[in-house]
Amino acid sequence: MRILLVEDEVRLAENVAAALREIPGYAVDCASDGQIGASLASNRCYDLIILDLMLPLLDGQGVLRKLRADSDLTPVLILTARGEATSIIELLNTGADDYLAKPFDLGELIARSKALIRRGKGVAHPLLRLSDVELDTLQQSVTRAGHLIDLTPMEYHILEYLMHRPKVIVSKRELLEHLYDYNWEHHSNVIEAHVSNLRRKLDWGATEPSIETLRGRGYRLSLREQPRG
Amino acid sequence: MRLRSIKTQLIVSVLLVELASAVLGTTLVVLYERHARFRAFDIMLRGRADSLLGAVQDAEDAQDSVMLDGSEINLPHDDIYEVWDENGRVLGHSPAWKIPGGSNVLATSSKQFDKIRVNGTRYRTIQMDGVRVVDPGDKNGGVRRRVTIVYGSPTRPAWKAVWNAVLFYGATSLILVILTGVVMFWLLRRGLAPLDELAAQASGLSVNSWLFAPSDRIRETTELAPLATALETAMQGLERSFKQQHQFVSDATHELKTAVAVIKSSLQLLSMKPRAPSEYQTGLERCQIDCRRIEEIVVKMLTLARVESNMTGTADHSSVLSTNLGQIVKSVVTQLETFAELNRICIEVLVSDAFTLDIEEDELELLCSNLLMNALQHSKAGDVVRVIGRSVGGWLELVISDQGGGIEKEFLPYIFDRFYRNDFSRSRRTGGTGLGLAICRAITNKANGTIELRSTPGSGTTVVVRLHLDRNSCTPTGITAEQIPSNETKSSSC
Repeated sequence: MRILLVEDEVRLAENVAAALREIPGYAVDCASDGQIGASLASNRCYDLIILDLMLPLLDGQGVLRKLRADSDLTPVLILTARGEATSIIELLNTGADDYLAKPFDLGELIARSKALIRRGKGVAHPLLRLSDVELDTLQQSVTRAGHLIDLTPMEYHILEYLMHRPKVIVSKRELLEHLYDYNWEHHSNVIEAHVSNLRRKLDWGATEPSIETLRGRGYRLSLREQPRG
Repeated sequence: MRLRSIKTQLIVSVLLVELASAVLGTTLVVLYERHARFRAFDIMLRGRADSLLGAVQDAEDAQDSVMLDGSEINLPHDDIYEVWDENGRVLGHSPAWKIPGGSNVLATSSKQFDKIRVNGTRYRTIQMDGVRVVDPGDKNGGVRRRVTIVYGSPTRPAWKAVWNAVLFYGATSLILVILTGVVMFWLLRRGLAPLDELAAQASGLSVNSWLFAPSDRIRETTELAPLATALETAMQGLERSFKQQHQFVSDATHELKTAVAVIKSSLQLLSMKPRAPSEYQTGLERCQIDCRRIEEIVVKMLTLARVESNMTGTADHSSVLSTNLGQIVKSVVTQLETFAELNRICIEVLVSDAFTLDIEEDELELLCSNLLMNALQHSKAGDVVRVIGRSVGGWLELVISDQGGGIEKEFLPYIFDRFYRNDFSRSRRTGGTGLGLAICRAITNKANGTIELRSTPGSGTTVVVRLHLDRNSCTPTGITAEQIPSNETKSSSC
């Protein structure tokens, strides 16, 4: 998952970005003012935008308004140091999805980020299940038919992204955009290797192939949802 | 506590005064009426007694005595009289006379007028001596007979007239008092309505509603206009300072919360997973840097509060401080030289040693170091920062200019505001708290000076501080960079 962090407080931005990269393993882009933030957000490659309110050039509310005016549906988490009820109401009414007051707890920020990303993709529970594959987004663990599969972080992130969008063809570019920050082009040829490793690990000892490759178009999960009951 | 109404007090006191004057007036009327009535009464008594004397006639007897013929005169039937001669013989009395004859009851007093009471009726009497000449045609001039007449008339009618007058005046006064009371109540209500209005408006003021807009009626009332104006001014001032305070608290909260958020996140990041000792080491060092920033904000906030709290009251100190500008600038430059050298920025100083200012030494130093540090922070390698001190009239002009990026015009009006940092050049990137320039302004304000910032984007920023030169200061005029008198400090550190 790729997150845009718009925060002018350099040290705070560093810490939040480091935590998001280390713990859930998200790709994080940082913007230090509202204008850069708004222009980065217009790339539409983010799964979540974390937005500070007091920003130089264009404040958080302005960025948010711009996003929503462009019908950008990306979930937005607001960071605020002011606790006035009116501004929070106004923010939520402007289109924010959640807010955290400074000084916040990094653990809470990560949990809220995960929840927002999940909701943004239409999933309510942190446990994703497709056929006999189970993905626990909290533990970042994957099991197939009850057997734990040991994945590298990148393999896990690819699978998580695909699991969020079952039945959809996901291009290599889309994967790159959502899993790497800024200079993802440097990584353009690593995706194939990761997908191939992931497929090998998932399909080991299984009858059904998990990921199909559509040449020149991308990847698609070939797992089917189990009929209920 | 019982509320006292001005209106009620006024009405009650005016009514009391009216009532007292009515009572006094009625009393005077009683006295006057009584006096006038009884004067007339006495004249009437005398007249009737005189006519009674006329009824005393010669008796056709040998002793040449006199007699009273009551049938000839017409006197009111409830009057009483008695006439006797010098021998005390009663000549006659009125038909209403119920006292046994010869008792001479009326002659008890020697006074001319007297009050008596007969059968429960009060009478006022006149006692009059008269002379009747019997046979005046005789050769020896007739016989002179002295008679004494006591004539009395009931006083009830006179008193009745007096009381009628009293009743009339009393009732009239009472009606007038009531009538004026009602009119006065109405007039007072009307007249004091602006006061009620003012009270109603003033009671509507609170911490949340500062708007005090007195109506034209209040403004046009001589007694209320000063009060309304004073209230209005006080409210505006209070609102302004309340808002400023609120803004300051809000800004300070924001700054401190952000600073705490930085430390908290640094520590949480460090404790999120087990790390190598070297990582902990780096993390702790960073936390210390973050803590230093909180310290800096707190120190600056306290400095600002100190300077601003001293602004009023002690401004008029008698002793002149005579702080030497040249020395202060020199010491500030020495402190910042390392920073300038590291960033390869040249500092040029052109300040005379002769300038002395009436300002606290540490405040002047803070002012200079804040401004110079700002200039250095916004300069790039190879730039020159100039510090020039010159006198213009009785003023010192301290000019600090840099060749940095400058500040956009739209940010200039807010540049001295506390915590203002929307402008990039003042953003946290440079480590500023947004309080430095606010402190500078507070210091110059305290010294009754001015501070002004001119900037052209792309070609640098110039800060001009104007302060009063004190009396001891020599004032070499017209110093420019080109002509440097011998007694001034010219130093460059590059």
